Amino acid sequence: MISKEEVLNLATLARLKLSDAEVASLQKDISNILEYVGQVSAVSNQGPTLDQGSSRSDLKNVMREDVPRATDNVMAGKEEVLRSAFPKREGDFNVVRKIIQKDE
Amino acid sequence: MSDLNKLSITEAAKQMAAGEVTSVQITEACLAEIEKRNPSLNAYLEVFADAREQAQTADARRAAGESHPLLGIPLAIKDNILIEGRHASAASKILGNYVATYDATVIAKLKKAGAVFLGRTNMDEFALGGSTENSAFGPTKNPYDESRVAGGTSGGSAAAVAAGMALGALGTDTGGSVRNPASFCGVVGLKPTYGTVSRSGLVAAVSSFDQAGPIAKTVEDAELLFDAICGKDPLDSTSIENSKLKIENYKKIGVPRKLFEKGVEPEVLAQFESALTKLQAKGYEVVDVELPSLSYALAAYYIINFAEVSTNLARFDGVRYGLSQKGENLFDDYARSRGEGFGAETRRRIMLGTYVLSAGYYDAYYGKATAARAQLRKEFESAFTSVDLIATPTMPYPAWKIGEKSDPLAAYLADIFTVTANLTGNPAISVPMGTVLRDGADLPVGIQLTAAHGNEAALFAAAKQM
Repeated sequence: MISKEEVLNLATLARLKLSDAEVASLQKDISNILEYVGQVSAVSNQGPTLDQGSSRSDLKNVMREDVPRATDNVMAGKEEVLRSAFPKREGDFNVVRKIIQKDE
Repeated sequence: MSDLNKLSITEAAKQMAAGEVTSVQITEACLAEIEKRNPSLNAYLEVFADAREQAQTADARRAAGESHPLLGIPLAIKDNILIEGRHASAASKILGNYVATYDATVIAKLKKAGAVFLGRTNMDEFALGGSTENSAFGPTKNPYDESRVAGGTSGGSAAAVAAGMALGALGTDTGGSVRNPASFCGVVGLKPTYGTVSRSGLVAAVSSFDQAGPIAKTVEDAELLFDAICGKDPLDSTSIENSKLKIENYKKIGVPRKLFEKGVEPEVLAQFESALTKLQAKGYEVVDVELPSLSYALAAYYIINFAEVSTNLARFDGVRYGLSQKGENLFDDYARSRGEGFGAETRRRIMLGTYVLSAGYYDAYYGKATAARAQLRKEFESAFTSVDLIATPTMPYPAWKIGEKSDPLAAYLADIFTVTANLTGNPAISVPMGTVLRDGADLPVGIQLTAAHGNEAALFAAAKQM
């Protein structure tokens, strides 16, 4: 079974605060689920790949000119709507926490 | 006139065009049914206060000479599809107060056609689940037996259509989220070819699987809705032009019987066999088809699902919008906002996605899953050179009891037949094929038909024979 430390490390990487009870139940769930999905280990790596071969003739890079477009710029004129969603607002600005902090 | 909410879209459009009924009348019939049944079914998270006004506008547009099969048709919209100025929460607490700033492309198309939006419907949070039990706002109940689930993740949309609380609906399908609730609620659900319908304005779950699709009472209605929402869109670079194949002489059905060896309930299989017999009577030929990589489909699907969910949901950090919780420091702000904003299943998938994408595990899980996906796609392409359709039951069993599948892995196994079309990008439809009796209630079950990329026409043609 996956260890408590591994679960806590994943939670840190994923930026999730979890209760002790949830950490314990995730140890069990993650182990069960990984055991099931682990059956893909039998799949050969020598087969076709998604970006290779004529089977994906529909896959190609989609490029466009980097110019402003009024017709399909769905956000045009929506600045105030975006601002009103800010969790903490001062005037037209979104107030966020200082990013650079002293290590604790 | 009292049963206007029970009309199909096709029938309602005909009656409105003939001037026999108005959109306001049909909309009011739906609203009355919502008032009656939604408190217990919990299909709608919100009913739009201006639905009647929208219907008046549609009637005025008709009076001014406009005509479209969807003009004035009241629809239910899944809560992960953005409608400008309205809440869209993806049934999550983290987006509980989020107001959409623009229209999804599918919504813009429906507005142009003149459809009426009745409200937004319940779903599994962020479209992660298969029963609508993972909603932050409580499960949607099955209209045929309220102790059972409606299916998911588009459970609210399917229940709304099945219960006559809308004439049709939009859902989204990531691993069966349109087809599964369609099967459980006895309605028609289509997952279009990947790319055929724009994803712009959908709350992203698994970007390489997600497609919006119609949920309707009849195949004709599903086709009408599909025609209205498909098309290439500059706002979604994965969108493609619908090939609109119209040749309908697709008569050979392949059945991957090896997949039915375990886990499918015998009564569902019996209904499936009689559905095939019905199709044979209409001139369809049924043959066995071998798809060896199908045995890896579910495992590969979930690995890719976890991986893309963990990356897509990284955007929810409580900084720019959505639920924001303050902690001791910046890390704590993130961890608390996300820990409290996401539900248990969403947290579990983010954790699993983080695991399968970690250095050291990536090749063993994500690498293998994409290899399996490529192989499966190739096998499907080759299968569709010898058959026109592939048929399976949509779900291995009818709707389960609310709370019955508390083990997450047990719930994942229910998706065995539906995930394949999302892995390969093929279009697939679920059509009612009968009922099975459980605890005194007749519960609907559906048959799933899959076709070659871009060949929705073959699906509609065969489904109309059911």
